Amino acid sequence: MSYFYAPPVARLIEEFEKLPGIGHKTAQRLAFHVLNLPAEKSEALANAIREAKLKTRYCSICSNLTESDPCNICSSAKRDHGLICIVEDPRDVVAMERIREFNGIYHVLHGVISPMDGIGPEDIKIKELLHRIREGDIREVILATDPDVEGEATAMYISKLLKPVGIRTTRIAHGIPVGGDLEYADEVTLAKALEGRREI
Amino acid sequence: MRIETLKLKNYRNYDNAEIEFSDTYNIIYGNNAQGKTNVIESIFLCATGRSHRTSRDSELLKYGSGFFEILLKYSKENADEEIHVLYSSDERKKISINEIPLKKIGGLMGHLNAVMFSPEDLLMIKQGPAERRRFMDMTLSQLRPSYFYDLQQYAKILFQRNNLLKNISTDKKLADTLEVWDHHLAKTGSRIMRSRKLFLSRLDTLSGLRHSRLTNNEESLKLNYSPSFEWQEIQDGDDLEEEFIKNIKKNRQKELLRGSTSIGPHRDDIDITLNGESTKIYASQGQQRTSVLSMKLAEIDLMKEETEESPVLLLDDVLSELDDRRKEYLLDNIEGIQAFITSTEKRFFTRSTENAKFFIVKQGKIKGE
Repeated sequence: MSYFYAPPVARLIEEFEKLPGIGHKTAQRLAFHVLNLPAEKSEALANAIREAKLKTRYCSICSNLTESDPCNICSSAKRDHGLICIVEDPRDVVAMERIREFNGIYHVLHGVISPMDGIGPEDIKIKELLHRIREGDIREVILATDPDVEGEATAMYISKLLKPVGIRTTRIAHGIPVGGDLEYADEVTLAKALEGRREI
Repeated sequence: MRIETLKLKNYRNYDNAEIEFSDTYNIIYGNNAQGKTNVIESIFLCATGRSHRTSRDSELLKYGSGFFEILLKYSKENADEEIHVLYSSDERKKISINEIPLKKIGGLMGHLNAVMFSPEDLLMIKQGPAERRRFMDMTLSQLRPSYFYDLQQYAKILFQRNNLLKNISTDKKLADTLEVWDHHLAKTGSRIMRSRKLFLSRLDTLSGLRHSRLTNNEESLKLNYSPSFEWQEIQDGDDLEEEFIKNIKKNRQKELLRGSTSIGPHRDDIDITLNGESTKIYASQGQQRTSVLSMKLAEIDLMKEETEESPVLLLDDVLSELDDRRKEYLLDNIEGIQAFITSTEKRFFTRSTENAKFFIVKQGKIKGE
């Protein structure tokens, strides 16, 4: 459809369309928005995209996205380096940091084990994790992968690997959201919360 | 449970329909291919989130229109509720209860309970185990939302595990992740199996009772849970899960060769016997039909017991296939239950129930009488 447009515009629409969650209509709208921007603003957008790619890399310790290596968290002396929280991707690190409670460090797996997508333990950063644990002085590993089928399997796999090493391994709890009303929780969440109940 | 009104828009062959039902019998009659079953189907959709005839929502759309809509109002013991289903061809179908959108289809389960009896139910006896598992799943999901969730999880785990079994043949290193999936499968799988076993032992008692009354004590109907491996019962959760894993390890070589999972609830079956003999092989057409009728009546009994409320009953074109005695028995035994009955003829329904309501269906128009 886009060959009715001048080639540079068509190219821009195509590139937008390749982005996740963007269909053809949205791609057109975005492209025309960019075309209508003043030159310096569109320049800024192009630069932001280029620099995000060029100036970031994976931290050599925790595999999080970072500008400096090692990343701010891994190089901070204030952090507890004996406590590692394992997450699926960099966005999860941001979520954990928002709570301002967690004082340990992270390990970003960049994916989860999923045979249907052909992703095995070799394809995510598990080797790097084992290396860290062998080298460093780690007391506890917290498994904070998502509570879905693949996240659960990945957590189980890692805990199996860590068992012989003898490090304390924990899994984050799931259940009722804090501040939420019990009566509005969906049945499944409530059932899970009941299953994971604790003595007080 | 009482359905009060149903509104359809662009659903199957209906442009616009608004129907007010009776609390007792609702007889929907008309010639073939006029849209009788579509009414019942739309009620079933509101109860379970899916049609009993197709899994593709796009088939429910009236030809040439971009969306369909169902609005169903009903009252329960202590509340009035309404279920709204909206489907448009470029989005997934959206369901809301009392105008609150559901995040998952599973949230629908247990709101409106319905038991459907249609000619396709005979397949439960005539065909393979998949039909019988569907029967268990439909009922159990309505009774327990967490069962429905477990089923969905199990299907995902199974799919992943089967993929892994196939991948291992090309990449041997993956083999050490298999154990994780074994445990995953066993944990969810044994929850499903335990629910089914309990469900069937209760249904067996109830349907046995129903059947001997239906047949003047001439036949005895038995339902037996037939899982893919045997286990010893039941104190707490752990023994079944362990047994599951033991069995799955026994089949390791076979599974790797075939690239698929050999045991688990996806291989379950129900043995249905009449006087000790398999209904599938030895029972006549009429006996098979009566057996299904007993199971459906038992399903109603069980739902009543569990929820302390009668489900609504959907009878799609079955009354005409039963002999007079069985027809009368059925009608006698659903008193106090709201029923929706389709038929090609008005005459078959001979009882003089004051509140019964008749609807004639003609080319996608429905009219009360």
